[in-house]
Amino acid sequence: MTTRFKARLMLAILLLPGFMASNAIAQSARDYIYIVGSSTVYPFATVVAERFGRGTEFKTPKVESTGSGGGLKLFCDGIGVDFPDIANSSRAIKQSEIDACATNGISDVIEVKIGYDGIVIASANSSADMSFSRRDLFMALAKQVPGGQEGQLVDNPNRTWADVNPDLPAIRIEVLGPPPTSGTRDAFVELAMEGGCKTVPWIKALKDSDSDRFKSVCHTIREDGVFVEAGENDNLIVQKLEANPSAFGIFGFSFLDQNAEKVKGAAIDGVVPTFETIADGDYPVARPLYFYAKKAHVGVIPGLREYLREFTSERAWGEEGYLSDRGLIPMPDDERRQIAKDVRELNALSAASH
Amino acid sequence: MKDANSTRMKVEAGLQRRRRKERVFQLIGLLATAVGIVFLGVFFFSLIKQGASAFEQTHVRLDVEMSSEALAPDGELDLIYADFDGVIRSALRNLFPDVTGRGDRRELNQLVSIAAGYQVRDMLVEDPDLLGGKATIWVPTSANVDMLVKGKIDPGIDEAMRPVSNQQIRWVDQLETEGRIETRFNTALFTNGDSREPELAGIKGALMGSVYMLLVTVALAFPIGVAAAIYLEEFAPKNRWADLIEVNINNLAAVPSIVFGLLGLAVFINWMGLPRSAPLVGGLVLSLLTLPVIIIASRAAIQAVPPSIRQAAFGLGASRMQVVFHHIMPLALPGMLTGTIIGMSRALGESAPLLMIGMVAFIVDVPGGFTDPATALPVQVFLWADSPERAFAERTSAAIIVLLGFLLLMNLTAVIIRKRMERKW
Amino acid sequence: MQNTTLILLLGAMAVVAFYFGRSRSLALVGGASKSAALHSLPGYYGYFTVVWCLLPALALMLLWLLFEPRLVVAFVVSGLPDAERQMTGGELNLLVNNIQNLASGDAVSGEVDSVLRAAADRYNEISQWSRRLLAVLVLGIAGLGATYAWRRIQPDLRARNRVEQVILYLLVAASSIAILTTVGIVLSVLFEAIRFFQKVPLTEFLFGLNWSPQTAIRADQVGSSGSFGAVPLFTGTLLITAIAMSVAVPIGLMTAIYLAEYSSARMRAIAKPLLEILAGIPTVVYGFFAALTVAPWVRRAGEGLGFEVASESALAAGLVMGIMIIPLVSSLADDAIHAVPSAMRDGALGLGSTRSETMTKVILPAALPGIVGGVLLAVSRAIGETMIVVMAAGLAANLTANPFEAVTTVTVQIVTLLVGDQEFDSAKTLAAFALGLMLFLVTLCLNILGLRFVRKYREQYD
Repeated sequence: MTTRFKARLMLAILLLPGFMASNAIAQSARDYIYIVGSSTVYPFATVVAERFGRGTEFKTPKVESTGSGGGLKLFCDGIGVDFPDIANSSRAIKQSEIDACATNGISDVIEVKIGYDGIVIASANSSADMSFSRRDLFMALAKQVPGGQEGQLVDNPNRTWADVNPDLPAIRIEVLGPPPTSGTRDAFVELAMEGGCKTVPWIKALKDSDSDRFKSVCHTIREDGVFVEAGENDNLIVQKLEANPSAFGIFGFSFLDQNAEKVKGAAIDGVVPTFETIADGDYPVARPLYFYAKKAHVGVIPGLREYLREFTSERAWGEEGYLSDRGLIPMPDDERRQIAKDVRELNALSAASH
Repeated sequence: MKDANSTRMKVEAGLQRRRRKERVFQLIGLLATAVGIVFLGVFFFSLIKQGASAFEQTHVRLDVEMSSEALAPDGELDLIYADFDGVIRSALRNLFPDVTGRGDRRELNQLVSIAAGYQVRDMLVEDPDLLGGKATIWVPTSANVDMLVKGKIDPGIDEAMRPVSNQQIRWVDQLETEGRIETRFNTALFTNGDSREPELAGIKGALMGSVYMLLVTVALAFPIGVAAAIYLEEFAPKNRWADLIEVNINNLAAVPSIVFGLLGLAVFINWMGLPRSAPLVGGLVLSLLTLPVIIIASRAAIQAVPPSIRQAAFGLGASRMQVVFHHIMPLALPGMLTGTIIGMSRALGESAPLLMIGMVAFIVDVPGGFTDPATALPVQVFLWADSPERAFAERTSAAIIVLLGFLLLMNLTAVIIRKRMERKW
Repeated sequence: MQNTTLILLLGAMAVVAFYFGRSRSLALVGGASKSAALHSLPGYYGYFTVVWCLLPALALMLLWLLFEPRLVVAFVVSGLPDAERQMTGGELNLLVNNIQNLASGDAVSGEVDSVLRAAADRYNEISQWSRRLLAVLVLGIAGLGATYAWRRIQPDLRARNRVEQVILYLLVAASSIAILTTVGIVLSVLFEAIRFFQKVPLTEFLFGLNWSPQTAIRADQVGSSGSFGAVPLFTGTLLITAIAMSVAVPIGLMTAIYLAEYSSARMRAIAKPLLEILAGIPTVVYGFFAALTVAPWVRRAGEGLGFEVASESALAAGLVMGIMIIPLVSSLADDAIHAVPSAMRDGALGLGSTRSETMTKVILPAALPGIVGGVLLAVSRAIGETMIVVMAAGLAANLTANPFEAVTTVTVQIVTLLVGDQEFDSAKTLAAFALGLMLFLVTLCLNILGLRFVRKYREQYD
């Protein structure tokens, strides 16, 4: 290699960035669907997205797992290609979120209920079978619990399950659960914690007299290290449970179903979480799953209408559909038919319905 | 003399103890050296043991009937909505005609990967004449069957605690005795993007994401790094400003990579409005990250050029610029290139800053440009490591093996360049 | 015209400009034999022309490419019917996206009506015109620039000095990027951190003992109290760092000593590159190994010994991180040991000390500042390490010194707070930047200190 050649090589290399930049700057329009939201719905949404991408001429949607609250917040930030088209949620949208959407110009949101999911308190397969009542869960996880006298609250002193309920074993309470960005957390506090909370008569009375206080008593989870906020990653929780048989994790039934070889669900109020008990409504801590789409984006973002159809098709969410293989508990036939029809007609959520 | 003798005796008395200490010290040193190397051995052994099987995928032989009434009832094949899975299902049904219940049929269908239907579709796209005929094809099994055949699922444990049922195991055994099951090279691993189905998941998407990022990185970091090194080494006045740049670069080389991610998030995404998850942004962040590495290596390469060459060139009347570009740079180039390759290999393995700029997402399509959403190879490892399916564990190891392979290749190239092109003075 | 073609054409023009400039300079003095009459070598007149040909044209092209998309969109929008022009920003943005997809022949959803089709055609037309215009302008300016330079060529034109001046500017620009990066880091974390400290007092952040950042994200939700006392994170980081250092420092140091003093040349030639492989393994791979192999093993071993071990114990992450840092410590220690003049070593050996005595009593004390510097750099590396702790350490902000318990670190929290979260108005997200600022400052101090130790020591004996 001569010196001259090398010098020219250098020159060529020095000119490379301009060359590359000129191509990189040419930005293209967004031609894929952008989905954010719940980590519980994530496994279902990704399966649908993948089948949709493989089966149609459209690109595979991009799915990010941000938690229901985080996802809806992003979703409601505005209309346009920079904002998500769909937010998955493991709970129904809240009025405050509908309002936030409306302020940002998103007036028509299509709500799609996709099926049911139970929330389970799971532990490693190697641990003993447990059975909790909702009251046990409240007493174990609330920041403050009722003290000796009526109307008195004390910081939660319970360290072991036996402290909560003498029938339970004396193992240290250690629960891994989702943070407030998660819909599972919202559903858990509303269904399990509040359910247990209401067993205390004077707190139940509060609900009518002072609902804010009722909420803060029932919904506040302790922060002294007993309840560990384990992020949005349910897989991580499963791994940690496997390694630590005395710990419990809170996540969706679908996750339990996928990991049946590693973890099992504890019975709540005497009912063990199974596909059937949740579908029948026997299992007390079950909630519907949703996703929300922007009507304004339908017909503009390529494939959005078709994605909605794929998700609400029988081969996806039906009794025999591929989503039920993944642990989604299907809705009754007529409800599915009604929702599929609403989705086809793009019936948006009316602001007053919630 | 008596004193000398007693000193000597004292020394000799202690000699044994001192020699023993010497031996112990040496042994500790040997052990310490061994720890690192043993770890390396254990690490590679466990990696290969876990990952090797992912390069193979179990396939099952099916005799499919591409009946035109099932696939094209209207006379024309609808590539999107035709029931290709139905073809596979009926092939399975023909194999096990005595399976009748709905639940049992479902379990039977779960033996085969969903890729099978797509395979049928692709065959028909390629050769439309197949419609109405019969064919014998090898299709991938589902990941659970794959794990079972590879012996990663123990059929001996309780049925409820494993993902395959007893009758599925029976069917697989029957297929195996009929010679319908075979493990083949797992091409999907290298030709597919990410997937929720382990048997369909591949690293091509992540690999292309990494390639695009490294292209941006090398295009920016190499010229800028070399130019900065030349300036600092040859032209910078020796003043406070030059000192500042110097301290700065040395520090940047040791700033935690996640801080560069914060920079990328705040500047490139929030301020400049570049798209999230794009290889362009990843490449920009990585080029800032590797810049100090390249600058430091290039400066060392320039310093290694003997002063005699510089002086000779000056003596012949060359200008400073001529000395640098005609004489020093060509000689320092191998060193600069090796530095750049090392920097690139660091960039290839980096994942923490990419977490900050949205590159942890489920992206199936292989990116085709600098602004398409993408992940990178190490990020794919991170994502798969978190996946619950057992089959992903071996794929994670396989992805790591591929990643390490690329790193090794890059470092070997660097070594070869150094050996081949570097002159000794 | 494609940008690539344009660039290639520009390159061709530059080559032509070079030969024209060069030949004019020679023609002016009357042939190559009289080139001594020129101020610079003939080639420099060529380069001089090239500079004038390329730089203005490239600058124009860059500006054009930056602003063109917006201008084209504005043109297309202005051509839309009134009804569409009345749309809000978001809807308009979607419409434009649709037009762009249609124009590029991509998959489009919804019916394509005549308005849309017309807009897409218009879009294509305008962008084609824009590209043609760009090509004409760029090539024109390149030609003009080259002609201007060509006409300025005189035998006494100081072409070399001009060209070298331009190159020098480019070099200065390149080297200031390093400064810009630092400024960028400081500014980007500082601004967000200041916004954080407006919401949460600095004293609470620095001295508070309670870390619970997951605040409610809606008005009608009850989340954590949102306390931002970062002390548990600092202690967690320190704990894991301490474990890592107690693995890496003795092993790294002893490895360096053994390889420098005892091993045969052959063994050194094998062991050193092997150890360097350890440094080259990506951290995410260490994280995978720590989470899936080492953590369960530590847990089993700990419980075998009767300890209560958390599943994501600080010990597992620390051990693996320590292994990762071994090569860093050993190579820096190796440098320091080798920098000790051999006269000191020979002297000690000559006085009858054993090799271990020479090492511990003479060489190590002399090399100590260098080793300390190396250790400081290793500490800074351990503090900033992210992937291992993200994958193997926990999220529980425990204030503890027990290595069997789960702790969380600054980097883990940065990742948790920012991944998937893009709102920059809550204290929760801003806290990540405050943590980033802390991380940057601490590692900066360690690096400066470490580098100073390493360098100062080197000067002593050289």
